[in-house]
Amino acid sequence: MVAVAKGCKEIITDVIDAGLCALCGACTGNCPYLVYYKGRIALLDNCTLSDGLCYKYCPRTYVDMDAISQQVFGVPYSEEEIGIAREALMARTTDTRIREEAQYGGVVTTLLSLALAEGLIDKVVLTKTSDDKTASPVLAQSEKEVLQCAGSNYMACPVLSAYNQIPKNDVSKLGIVGVPCQVLAVTKMKKDPPINRATISNVKLVIGLFCTWALSPDKFHRFLREKLDLSKVKKFDIPPPPANRFDVYTTSGEISLPLDEIRKFTMPTCAYCLDMTSEFADISVGSVEGIEGWNTVIIRTTVGAELMKAAKAKKKLETDKLPSGNLTHLKEAALLKKKRALKEIIQRSGDENNLIYVGLSPEFVKKLQD
Amino acid sequence: MANINIDAPGTSQLFMGNEAIARGALEAGIGFAAAYPGTPSSEILGSLASVAKETGIYAEWSVNEKVAMEAAAGASFAGIRALAAMKQNGINVVSDFLANLVMSGIGKGGLVLVSCDDPSAISSSNEQDTRPIAKWLDIPLVEPGDFQEAKDMTKWLFDLSEEIGTLFMLRSVTRIAHARGNVVLGELPKKERRAYFDQIHDLKSVMPTTFMPVPSPLRHFFLHMKMDKARQKFEASRFNRYVGPDKADLLIVTCGSCWLYSQDAVKTLKLEDKVGILKLGTLWPLPEKFVESHLGKSQKVLFVEEIDPFLERSIMEFVASLPSTSPRPTFYGKRSGHINAYGELNPDLVIKAISNILGLTYQPRDAEYSDKAEAAAKSHVPERSMTFCAGCPHRATFWAIKNALKLDGRNGFVTGDIGCYSIALGPAGFFQVRTMHCMGGGAGVANGLGKLGQFGFNQPVLAVVGDSTFYHATIPALINGIYNQSDFILVILDNSATAMTGFQPHPGTGMTAMGEPTKVVSMEALCRSLGARVKVCDPFDLKHTTTTLLDMMAEGGGAKVAIMRRQCELVRGKKEKPPYKVQVDTEKCIGEACGCDRLCTRVFLCPALIWDKKAGKSKIDEVICTGCGVCTDICPQGAIIKEAA
Amino acid sequence: MTTKQLAKDPLNLIITGVGGQGNVMISLIIGNALVREGYSVTVGETYGASQRGGPVMSHVRISKETQYSPFIPDGCADIILGMEPVETLRMLGRYGNPNVLTIINPRPIYSIDVTGGQAEYPDLDKLVQTVKKLSAKTWVINATEEAQKMGSPMFANAILIGAVIGSGVLPLDKKSVEPVLCETFPKEIKTNIEAFNQGMRLIKQLR
Repeated sequence: MVAVAKGCKEIITDVIDAGLCALCGACTGNCPYLVYYKGRIALLDNCTLSDGLCYKYCPRTYVDMDAISQQVFGVPYSEEEIGIAREALMARTTDTRIREEAQYGGVVTTLLSLALAEGLIDKVVLTKTSDDKTASPVLAQSEKEVLQCAGSNYMACPVLSAYNQIPKNDVSKLGIVGVPCQVLAVTKMKKDPPINRATISNVKLVIGLFCTWALSPDKFHRFLREKLDLSKVKKFDIPPPPANRFDVYTTSGEISLPLDEIRKFTMPTCAYCLDMTSEFADISVGSVEGIEGWNTVIIRTTVGAELMKAAKAKKKLETDKLPSGNLTHLKEAALLKKKRALKEIIQRSGDENNLIYVGLSPEFVKKLQD
Repeated sequence: MANINIDAPGTSQLFMGNEAIARGALEAGIGFAAAYPGTPSSEILGSLASVAKETGIYAEWSVNEKVAMEAAAGASFAGIRALAAMKQNGINVVSDFLANLVMSGIGKGGLVLVSCDDPSAISSSNEQDTRPIAKWLDIPLVEPGDFQEAKDMTKWLFDLSEEIGTLFMLRSVTRIAHARGNVVLGELPKKERRAYFDQIHDLKSVMPTTFMPVPSPLRHFFLHMKMDKARQKFEASRFNRYVGPDKADLLIVTCGSCWLYSQDAVKTLKLEDKVGILKLGTLWPLPEKFVESHLGKSQKVLFVEEIDPFLERSIMEFVASLPSTSPRPTFYGKRSGHINAYGELNPDLVIKAISNILGLTYQPRDAEYSDKAEAAAKSHVPERSMTFCAGCPHRATFWAIKNALKLDGRNGFVTGDIGCYSIALGPAGFFQVRTMHCMGGGAGVANGLGKLGQFGFNQPVLAVVGDSTFYHATIPALINGIYNQSDFILVILDNSATAMTGFQPHPGTGMTAMGEPTKVVSMEALCRSLGARVKVCDPFDLKHTTTTLLDMMAEGGGAKVAIMRRQCELVRGKKEKPPYKVQVDTEKCIGEACGCDRLCTRVFLCPALIWDKKAGKSKIDEVICTGCGVCTDICPQGAIIKEAA
Repeated sequence: MTTKQLAKDPLNLIITGVGGQGNVMISLIIGNALVREGYSVTVGETYGASQRGGPVMSHVRISKETQYSPFIPDGCADIILGMEPVETLRMLGRYGNPNVLTIINPRPIYSIDVTGGQAEYPDLDKLVQTVKKLSAKTWVINATEEAQKMGSPMFANAILIGAVIGSGVLPLDKKSVEPVLCETFPKEIKTNIEAFNQGMRLIKQLR
């Protein structure tokens, strides 16, 4: 399989209508044709271009994993379950305000605040959850705005459209926070830079989140609206196995929904995703199983390492060694996701050599299947 | 428009066919005229209204043709000479009233119905020959062959109508109605007109005066007697004549505009001494004796008329009734395929038919020149599709509709109606309109679609209708939607004008045909009082309009009304200067690149936006741009800039 | 008043342009002036829906003998007054002949088919050359340009009327046309008369 130049017509047929769209937003925000609205990407008019940036950066069109890895790390795609990791540790914020708003350890919010304060970045592309619990992309420029985005939403959000909307002559240094498919799209952009929007080299920091799957924004939101008074909801959480629950924290107490009922609203495309830990980010952040109030942090690049160092030096973050059991468990989960995804892909394509969008050597694939 | 009230009898004026008809009505001493705008008939009422005050007549734009016809009949019942004018579709709308009026008879005021057909539907949804209604309902029918006859016939019909006691119909076509030619004026009357509804028809009768079709069979019998009287008058009419040799190689039988085409054809072929032309002006009842007296002039007869074989069939029917010893020429026309049974005619088509029948070849111009000219035109002349004017609010409305339907994502669509916005079936309106039939048809069709939920139908339906069309025919459909709880959105495009036909006023504009201010029938107040949810938007505010439509589509639940209110640019532009100066910032314009792909010139299609191929940028055509500024909101790069003028 | 004999009877004049250009007004002025001089004149127009950006043509039939139909037969135009280049060529294609006289205003108006990318607008110089090849005589009058110099493209109509009168192809002169101009133009009568005079001057310069 090779990369082929295609445009918005193929985005619709090959990705969206084929049920592969992750609503990452890489194709929206920069042109008048593809527009996100209430949980779907709409095509407002026909674009005649046969070589569109929408198709190029979509994380579900052909991606050469070795080339992507070379772009970020200078080496081919790693066989490591959690990708290339200089260090894996535990961390939490020292800031009480952030701790109140945080999902777990508040690491993402803390790192972004520090990056803004230090001038590593001027603006950051983030997901914000509104009062009605819908998620939308925002471009935050201050610590206050970043804090407003704290907390996990679990629904897909086209975050990258906020980057795409930044005008081409804007020189602001940018940070992006995204889930694995979004980080993959950004990496595709780094490899083959886009035109007519802010330069990709302005992106100085990419923080990736751990992700098993995302929920459909319109279907899941409708489900929530029917079940709950969303104005009373403060936070959502999916505790680690074997809990099997979807927890909702409201102003009048805690409600738990069976996770199996929630799984119905998983985006179909997540079944074909190999990446649990955002392998191409500068820093990847997730929860710590069994330890409340802390984050698992994977440092991958020099940018990531220096930011963490600064955070520790300025006492913005408290760190600790990640218990070996947690690390083992994390790797098992990550590997399981890769294997499952591969299986689903091959089942869908009906051909071991057709991996739909993933560019991996047959040897690599075989190794994964063992 | 020309001044039809010139007091200069005997002078020759250049009048439109419609102006000539209006002048004929004035010379006949008309008191009352009513019509609904409809191309190609609008100038009849328009020119009467412009001189109404000084001539002491009453002229109105009625809300539709049915009311116009009924109102004119009302005037006739009270002894005032009255005229109703309409295009072919208006005849369909008044047919029920006419079917009863021919039975009831008219009052002491002569009543004339003018029907202006549009062969080839140049400015219509359909093409339709209205002459058959004369045969269908028993109405005496005439058709003028030129501009002088348009005036003279109209004047004559009022006398006939009063003498015989029934309405008379004059049928015209676009090429007479809108073309201009010499008309020698007659005298203008100076008599007083008094209206009174006679309580008793005559002193011997015990029954009061009534105008009713009952008892119908008896009335029908009386109607036939009237038609016989009309036939006698027609036999002697100077509007029927023959031009040509006593013995002809070909006899053309023609009427209306085709009289001029036939003459043109015969002259061009230089066959004045070989081809005769029998021109009929009075078509129904057929002046049989007159026709019979000329049939023997040739073995070959060619019928030339628009659009249907009306005269052709009437005459063939008549000839079939003659004894076998009568001359039986070979008939050519629509039945034989020598003349198209569809579309308008012209001199060249008649030339072709004559040449065909007589075995002639005709070359209008040097063959080499012809090839060169035709080839040049073919290769160098691009198409010129219809579009909305620069600054037209409909472009903005349909842009918002297109976006709202796409964002909604349930494959919603638009049912359409008659007006400038009918153009939205094409690229100018982003192909949004999917159905179109007659005035008010869009909302009617939407009513049906909005009840199909029980069959799994969930596509949003938007019925678009113009402001004038709303008052004309759509109110009953809206009531139906509310009463029967049909789920659709009625989108009223309120540009404060009956635009397509020439910016005539209507009940929403606060102005009458005679230029008098009057009550405004508020469409939002009316719709609300009917129980509909109503929202009013400015289509130039694309964001608000799109959001309003999206919210209405998401709401569901019964008929809703969205009024898109902004004045027609052609009306606004006459009174005010352009609000903005609009320019393209060529630095920001990315043209064909990914992120735009020429949205403004390729998709939005305002004629003032031009693609500069050499520069690879868009450009504003200053001569055409009206400065509305809407395009500044659609450019994805913000490269179109507006400055307050 | 003795009506002059015509060089050809009928004399067939086509005025062509795009909806909204003022085509109809020109035919009205010329038609009225001719009727006052005692001619039988028929003016046929195609308008209505075509106002909205479509092509518009007026056929003017001038005769001393009789009323002609509102259609000039194919190949029978004597004079073409072209307000738009492509429309001028469109008319020549159908109604032109080796003896036709053409006045052309070389100012393109792009249709949405062109601006939308489906069709090409031809090279203007080549187009004018083709028009010249297909006409016995061609006068190129930059009416829109001149009108803009006078303050508004609106004045192009009066300039073109001046040009056609100044060319001498019609049995009209300034004296017969000026009163009709004054009656017909809704506003800016003085400037329109100046524009008319400018049109007469421009065409005389081209002799």
